[in-house]
Amino acid sequence: MKKFTKYSTLILFLLALVSACKNDFPIDEDGLLITDRAECYVSNFELLGADFQTVRTKNPVIDTVAQTIEVEVFFGTDLKNLFPQFSLVTDAKLDPKIVGKVDFSDLSNPKVYTVVSGNRKVRKPYTVKVTVQQP
Amino acid sequence: MISKMLSTINFSIKSGFICKLMIPAALLLLNACEEKEYAIPEAKTELQNDVLKRTTGPHVAGLDIEFAYAMALGVDKGRLVSATVEASVAGEEGTYMDPKSYYTDGSGEDIGVTVGEPSVTQGTRTSVRFVGDTSAATLRYYYKIPESAKGQNVSFNFSAEASTGEKVTYAMGPYKISRMDMKLDLAVKDSTACYISIADMAVYSPEEAAANPGKVDLVYLYRNIPNITFNHSLVAPSAPAEYLRGVQLPSGVNNSAKIRKVWGLRDQHLARMQFGVFVDDLDFEKLNLAAEPDYAINLRAESGTWVETADGKYRAYIFVNSVNNNGKSAVISIKRFAL
Repeated sequence: MKKFTKYSTLILFLLALVSACKNDFPIDEDGLLITDRAECYVSNFELLGADFQTVRTKNPVIDTVAQTIEVEVFFGTDLKNLFPQFSLVTDAKLDPKIVGKVDFSDLSNPKVYTVVSGNRKVRKPYTVKVTVQQP
Repeated sequence: MISKMLSTINFSIKSGFICKLMIPAALLLLNACEEKEYAIPEAKTELQNDVLKRTTGPHVAGLDIEFAYAMALGVDKGRLVSATVEASVAGEEGTYMDPKSYYTDGSGEDIGVTVGEPSVTQGTRTSVRFVGDTSAATLRYYYKIPESAKGQNVSFNFSAEASTGEKVTYAMGPYKISRMDMKLDLAVKDSTACYISIADMAVYSPEEAAANPGKVDLVYLYRNIPNITFNHSLVAPSAPAEYLRGVQLPSGVNNSAKIRKVWGLRDQHLARMQFGVFVDDLDFEKLNLAAEPDYAINLRAESGTWVETADGKYRAYIFVNSVNNNGKSAVISIKRFAL
């Protein structure tokens, strides 16, 4: 009886372990869920200064066909220390990742960020064009 | 028969792990149900004391550290004779113990009742002698932080004596005294009082700036320019001309500085507002302004700027207390840290 209890418990435990390790949901190299969604676009864009306040003078113009984001910033904005924020379609992710301040000071070479769809099969590069408000 | 029963029980206990758990659990349950009769605790009547530190935030030279020192003994035992505080570093002039014991009335006001003679401070010791028949009191002690204590630790030893001969003591601290300097409410005005020296923590006129060009780190200016938001600004003399529109810098005024705009950092010492936020030594030590520009435009009331001087000697936090667009002026307060 004792042996039976021991072995049955062990088998149940192993079964539970095997079940727990079963990989039902695929994840990408960042540990993010890969889904069926193929949509791939930027829905909103924000640019914050060193004081974490917006530096935009008006709403950004996001062209999902031309894949461009045009944003005008206040006169005197320190373009070397900006924090961009992208709002993306559900399940999409951004490449390269934004991990801190970004230097947007080279206005002739705008920054390019690629949006990757939820199924990780569609990649769309968006160009961020920054202009500075002038008196 | 009994032995058979016992052996059966014994067998079931051995074979069942749950049974092993059940017995202590049952015992615990029985124990938990035991009723204890409540007795009102007896109040201690010997002389006793306690201290509360009322000051929060970093300890900056020139400010007070406030304590509330409570002491009491049984009414029928005797009365309080004296209360003394000994600081490890003598406080600045203005260090004292309030000879009033306070209580809070219904509307939240602190009402003081005089229970002793005015305090006497000699060197590191401050003491109050009680008058009248006082057996319980809470006195407030204000330690004015001296310049000489900057960067040091300060400790306090509170003691009270009763007519019974009893003596109690209570040690507080050590408390680290900040290395920061502070200057409040400097009035700056476009064109006239517009040159700010971090080294001197002062505002200079153009004539004074011309006399001390090396000490000027920032220029305050207000501009109302169509199509852009310039307004109140702090700009280093080295900044591009577009940020110093209409400013004729006195000869030799050419220092650079690193400036970062900050929003919402309402340091309680500088802003004197209800927010329990303080800029501390550690903030200055960890601050990295290497990649920051030499100007900050469009500053609003209750905003601030981190600044590092060109010679790397000082870091400062400049808080904008208020702005006046019509008067082209502002009131600023500075916390400074020598590196």
